[in-house]
Parts: sequence; C-alpha cells; structure tokens
Amino acid sequence: MEQVLAFALLGLGPGALYAGISLGVVLNYRGCGVINVAMGAIAVLGAYVFYGLRTGGYLFLPPLPFVPARIDLGGPVGVVPALVVAILVCALTGWLLDVVVLRALRNASPLAMLMATLGLMLSIQAVILLRFGASGQSAPSVLANGPGDVVHILGVTVPSDEFELAGIVIVAALALAALYRWTRFGLATRAASENETTAVLAGLPPARLSAINTVLAASLAAALGVLVAPLTQLDSSTIPLAVVPAFGAALLARFTSFSIAAVAGVGMGVIESLVTYLQSRPWFPTTHGAQLPGVSDVIFFAIIVAAMYWRGGALPQRGSLVERRLPKVPRPNRLERPAIVCAVLCVAAFLLFTYDFRQAAINSLIGMVVCLSLVVIIGFVGQVSLLQVGLAGVAAFAVSKLSANAGIGFPLGPLLAIVIAVFVGVAAAASALRVRGVNLAVVTLAAAVALENFVFENPTWGGGFTGSPVGPPHLFSVDLSTQASFPAGGGQLPSPVFGLVCTVGVIAAGLLVASMRRGRLGQQMLAVRSNESAAATAGISVRNVKFLAFGVAAAIAGLAGVLYAYNFGSVSADRFDVINALVFVSFAYVGGITSVTGAVIAGLGVTEGVIGHILEKWLGVPASYQLYVAGLLLMATLIMLPEGIAGGPAPPPPVRVISRLIVGPARARRSRAAIDGTLQRADS
Amino acid sequence: MTAVLETRGISVSYGGVSALDHVDVQVAEGQLVGLIGPNGAGKTTWIDAVCGLARSTGETWLGGSNITALTPAARARAGLGRTWQAAELFEDLTVRENLAVAADRRPMWRLVWEALTGAESDPPGIESTLDLLGIGDLGDVAADALTQGQRKLVGVARALAPGPRVVCLDEPAAGLDTAESGLLGQRLRRVVETGVAMLLVDHDMGLILDVCDWVVVLEFGRVIASGPPEAVRRDPKVVEAYLGGAAEESRAALGASAIGTEV
Repeated sequence: MEQVLAFALLGLGPGALYAGISLGVVLNYRGCGVINVAMGAIAVLGAYVFYGLRTGGYLFLPPLPFVPARIDLGGPVGVVPALVVAILVCALTGWLLDVVVLRALRNASPLAMLMATLGLMLSIQAVILLRFGASGQSAPSVLANGPGDVVHILGVTVPSDEFELAGIVIVAALALAALYRWTRFGLATRAASENETTAVLAGLPPARLSAINTVLAASLAAALGVLVAPLTQLDSSTIPLAVVPAFGAALLARFTSFSIAAVAGVGMGVIESLVTYLQSRPWFPTTHGAQLPGVSDVIFFAIIVAAMYWRGGALPQRGSLVERRLPKVPRPNRLERPAIVCAVLCVAAFLLFTYDFRQAAINSLIGMVVCLSLVVIIGFVGQVSLLQVGLAGVAAFAVSKLSANAGIGFPLGPLLAIVIAVFVGVAAAASALRVRGVNLAVVTLAAAVALENFVFENPTWGGGFTGSPVGPPHLFSVDLSTQASFPAGGGQLPSPVFGLVCTVGVIAAGLLVASMRRGRLGQQMLAVRSNESAAATAGISVRNVKFLAFGVAAAIAGLAGVLYAYNFGSVSADRFDVINALVFVSFAYVGGITSVTGAVIAGLGVTEGVIGHILEKWLGVPASYQLYVAGLLLMATLIMLPEGIAGGPAPPPPVRVISRLIVGPARARRSRAAIDGTLQRADS
Repeated sequence: MTAVLETRGISVSYGGVSALDHVDVQVAEGQLVGLIGPNGAGKTTWIDAVCGLARSTGETWLGGSNITALTPAARARAGLGRTWQAAELFEDLTVRENLAVAADRRPMWRLVWEALTGAESDPPGIESTLDLLGIGDLGDVAADALTQGQRKLVGVARALAPGPRVVCLDEPAAGLDTAESGLLGQRLRRVVETGVAMLLVDHDMGLILDVCDWVVVLEFGRVIASGPPEAVRRDPKVVEAYLGGAAEESRAALGASAIGTEV
C-alpha cells in the first residue's frame, strides 16, 4: 500500500507538466479557437533555452540566413535570469505564432489552424535536433532536489519538488480561473469566443485578446517545461509528445475549465506512474518476460476516447465572423493519359538513374502512396486521421510476421497484411462516427502514439529494438525484391525491378483515388465533408461513406506499408512513429491535400525522397534541415496556398511544360464571362 | 384524402426548454401545406424532427409506415426530402452533381464497382428536375458560383431529384424579393401538380396564403390553428399571435397580403 502511495506521489511532477501544457492548450483554445499541438514543443523549447543558458552560457538561435547559431554570454547564467529568458523566448514564439500565422488563418478552417501549429511543432523539434542532436541531455534542476529535500508522508519518502510542481500548476490554474472570471480581459475573451461579431461591435479587439492568450499559454508551458525537464527526459520528442495526455486533460475540461484541466493533467501523471508500479507486480502481463512497452499510452488513448464520448463529443462552438472554407477538391479531367505518361517516366527513371537516385525515387513513390491515403481521408472526407502512417506500420509488421512466423510470403502475405490494416482502419472509423474534424485529429494522434509504443515497440508483435525481418518477394520464381538482378542499373542496390513494383503500386493507388473523385463515391464523400446533416437528409448514409473512406484509405496506407517492408527488408518502429506520421501529413498539405497531383508533389518532397536527395547531393543541404524547412513550409502553405502547391497559381514555364506533358493539353474551359452569361439567363 | 406525411404528438426539448409540444401535422397527398409561426415557434425544429436530425418523442409516419425509428438517411430513402434555410449545397460539386449524388440510391458496392472500373452514369430525371424549376442552364456551374436565389432553387431541385413523396421546404423565400418570391410560388405549385406533396415553412405570409392548400400555425411549439388559408387568415388567435397587439393594423396587413404584399 505504501508503495502504491509512493508511486502515485512520484507521478505529481510529470503530471504537473501535463497539467501545464493542458492549461496552455485550454488558454489558447479559449483565446482564438486553435487546438495547439505545438504546446509541448514550446515547453521543450523553454527547457532547452534554459539548458543552454545554465550549462553553456549561450542562447541558441534557429537556422536563419545571416544569423549566428548561438549568442555567447561568456559563462553560465543564474537560475532566475535563465528562467526569465526561457519564458521570454517562448512568449515571443507564441506571439509570432499568433500574429503571423494564426491571425492570417482566422477565416480558415479550425483544421488549418491545427495544422499550422503542427508546422511549428516540427520546426521546433528540428531546431532542437540541429542544435543539440538526438541523444538527449540531462536537464539542470531548478527546484531543490538534493538528498535532503524530501517529504515524509504516511510512511513514504517522496522528493519535495513533486509537491512543489503540483502546487505550482494548481495555483496557476486558480489564477487563470480568477483572471477569466473577474478581470475585464477575461470577460472580453469569453465574449469574443462566444460571438466575435458582438465583440467587435463592442469595441473589443479579438486579435489582441487572442495574442495575449497565446503569449500567456506559451509562457506557462515554457515555465513548466523548464521546471519539469529534470524529472522527465530532455530530448526533442518526449516533452513535445506530452501534449497527448495534456489533450486528454483538456478534453475532460471541455477546453474550458482551467481547474479541471490542471487536476486531470496531474491525474494523468499519477496514472502513468501507477502503471509503472503495476508493471513491477508479478501478475502483470509481460511479453516473454520483458515489460510491455507503451501501456500508459494505451490508457491515455482510452481516456481520450472516453472523454470524447462522455463530454459530448463536441468542443464548445465558437461564433466566428466569417464562414470557414475548406480547400477545394478539383475533379481530375483525365485518368489514362497521366497514368500512362507517369508510368513511362518512372520506367525511364529506373532504367537511367544511378542507385542513389533509384533509392530516392523509391522512397518518393512510397511517400506518394502514403499521401494518397491522406488525400482520401483528409482531403475528400475531411476527417483528419493522423493514424495512416500507423496503419502502414501495421501492414508492414504483418508482412514481416506472416512470412517469418506463418511462412506466408508474396503475394498472399501482403494481401493479408493490407486486409489487417483495413480492419484496424475501420475499427478507428468506428470511433470517428461520433468524432469529427479537429477532435478526430486529437483521438488519432493518441491512437498513433499508443500504436507505436504498445504494438510497434513490442519485441513480440512489433520490431522491438532490432527490427523485424522481411523475406524478399517472389512471384512465380521471379525475384521482385530490391536485390533482383536486372540488365540495367549496374548491379547496385536497389534493383530497378523493385522500383517498377513500386511504380505499379503508385499508379494503381493514384488511379483508384482519381477515379473515386470523378465518380459517385467521391461526390458522396465531398457531400459528407460539406455538411453531414445535409448529406444524410439527401439520402447519403454518412456512416457507410465514412467506413468506406476509412477502409479505402487504410488499404492504400497498407499498400505503402507493404512496399516499405520490402524496401528495407526489415521493419522497425521508428519508420512508423508519430513524428514521421506528422511529417507525412505536413508534406501532404504542402503538396495539396485534396488531389492526386498534390500527393505526387508531396511524395517528391518527403524525407529521403527525390527533392531531398537533389538538395543534399547537389546543393549540400543536409537532410537534418529538411524537417525544419518542412515545418516552416507547412505554415507558409496554409496561409498562402490553402489548396497546396497543386492548387496554387500557374507554375513557372519549365514546370508547366512537364505538367502539360503529363496531364495533356488543358481542356477548353468555360470562361468566367460565359458562366456569368448563363447565370444571367437563368436569373431572367 | 390520405396523409403522405404525418406527425403524431411530436415533442422536442433542448435541455429542459420545450421547442415542440405534442405537435400533430398532416400533409395530404398532392397538397401544398404551409407551416407558419413567429420566430422561435419551432418550425425548423419540426422539420429537423421529421428528418430525424432532432431527438424527438412521438411518431412520424410517411406514406402509411412508421419511420420514427429510421436514421435520417433511411428516411430520405423512404421518400422524404428537405431543403435548408441556408441551402447547404455541396459546395465542391456542380449543380448537376448536387442533384445526382442525392438521386443516386444504388447500393454502395455498385458505386465501388463503378469507381474500380471507371464507368460513369447519371440517374435519370436530373435534367427534367432542373427544367421544372427553370434552372436547366445551370447544370455545369459549380455550386459555390451561384447567387443566393439560385442556391435556393438548386436546394429545392436537389430535394426533388430522387423523386420523393413529400418535401419539406425550410424558408425557400427568405432573402428573395417580392417578385422572386412570387416566381418561386408558381414553380412550387407546378411541382405539386406533378404529384409531390410539400410542406412549406416561411415568414412570407403572402406567399403562404397565396399558394398553400392548407395552413398550420405554430406558436411557442404548439399548434394554435390549422385550416384552409381563408379560415386561418381570419382566425383572431393567429392575428394575435403572429402580429402581436397591433391587431387592427395586422388585420389590414393580412388583408393586403392576399394581393401579394409582403408582411
């Protein structure tokens, strides 16, 4: 019993971090209606600024032209000034986010705002990777935590900082609640969130209120990041992903109540710590004697799903001034010509390219398949599933396990693997029937984390530390693998044969998606995206359309996973981790989330893809900068080209020639004047 | 005459506030029924309840079968259509696609097959529905390029395209001027003559009293009067409810509305 208490109290510190991020998320939501995925990343930014100042006496800066990597201050800085600077840096980041990005997206969909914060999260993580590497640091402590700084309570001894941290967030929550209840600022924010029009008419500037809220949120997250970092891990992904349990707490608080968010956040930390305790009990299930990884992530996911159902499924609606628009979904004019031309181009590329470009092209083709899956589910149906890369992982591990444990190889193995991915995808859809839009992004983010840590990291079901091997594919004794012999290509890996296999996969998936958009199914999906109630009363079964869309998207993601598995000959968890999933979603948005063309552009841009390889080989831009640029590009694209590059203005002449070649001559379009003429005739 | 659409004791409440209280409405075959009432009387709520979008108690019958337990989509497939105050067109689709996606009632596996084989086919009757409403020219225009009046007509066309037994129209004349609203009335009568029953919710008393065969008046979620337009026009309860204290003025206004003046 004492041990239970001890473990529960040891969860207070990490819980304070979840609570702090959760408070930031709630503040940011109430201020301008954004669900800020980057709140954990802002916390870790604060922790790293503090780390740099305390241990090395420098302030690191993001990679920018003509800006040094760091400013040296001549020696380690004291605790208080370092803390103040860390909070100021994060406050500035929050201010920039609000004024430059969120303000420009006020009339975009809530989804676009969420995606923009995703861009910020990836950029911050990239900056930390560039400046500090991936191995992690030991964070300097702020609160006293020597051997004497302990509290004895009911027979257990617990470090005193656990209590101090929990106390700090509770006080912060109470202060925020008081601020919102009794000050003019709080009243104004509440008014603006309920009805922007009246707020404007009453002379309250919603833009300034939003900026103050975002700055407050970022400062709070930063402070907790600095304080709690010594108790958790200081690296580029642990604290940023603490946003998942923080979302769970924020959901329980309906993105409104500060006190519930703080208590629930601390509770999440306590639960996590108790799971650690339970796992030390002999009766707790293990995997071949080793601890099950990711149990707490599964519990966080379950809490988020339960909170969605229990708290009514929907976030409080905000009254905004302008109706929010979703990016347009163009109808492809032709199917055969682009497919044939692309196939010819791919074949030529694999015959002519050197091995390194062949590998980059294969990576791009597989990336295109992942993005096609995102086009179906996010672009066509408007359901933000962050789980698609996870589903690719499910299929990849299934291919590996089926061949290694059951002796089922090509082509039955990959087909079964895709079927398994579809089952998991449709199960995810079951949760999406009541949850939509931004909320679904939160649920699937938690699902992706749980899938990664609980399944993919598991040594039995997943890859464990070493990865899970995959046998080469053979069809009627023809070798289709990356090692297949082929007259062209100089005998180096990967074989052009496997490139051709990927080409077939991309063309098939692209044709399916384009054909769906042209046909009735695509129209039904767009109807559901437009307005679910209107679609239902027009006789469209919203449930069936969503199930089908999730199924098709899962099948395409499964295909990508299968190709991944054969590409590397071994499946490891990090290929399908949640950060990769978010990177893919960013590239898909930058390319154009609503069209096959967009997926193709996105695929060319993905990490280790063709564009990345050109940049690295010919221009010397290291791959580590690509994540940074991808994050910034995502924010810029959302603001300037809501339909992505594919839906943007006419490309420069050389690119236009290529695109003409692929899609064929432009169809005679009805001029604007002709349409206006029709409208007038119909009016009269 | 048999009722094609009927609600029996429909009640809806939102968090303790009663929006509809045991409302009985009948729409007979081939009839155009008007549903009027002051703002907040529960007119749109009644349509939402009939379509299965608002949680309600009581029963809804469509063409002699009880559809109370059906989902909104199943009710639509059973022959119930509706339009929306804000049209709620599917913005990414053309006008013709808006109608086709509503009219296509084939099972999903057929649609999947179509997507895999690349075959395309439109359900019949789309062009004739567009022509019936006088918007045959607009088939290829994108929904988001239409004017407000056109959007309303396309909304009506979309509800009619599947060949429903009855259509509920939610304020189709809102935002139209008197001439447009008169034109709309004529077109609706034309549609009713093809055999589709209609329930028309509107604020435009002139329109309702002009074109409807039967009028139901709602106030605070209750039916306070129903009957032929002439009887409802003279009902003192209606005059009182709809136009408040200024009874004399309103009587004059109602009289004037018979010749098409807006109230």
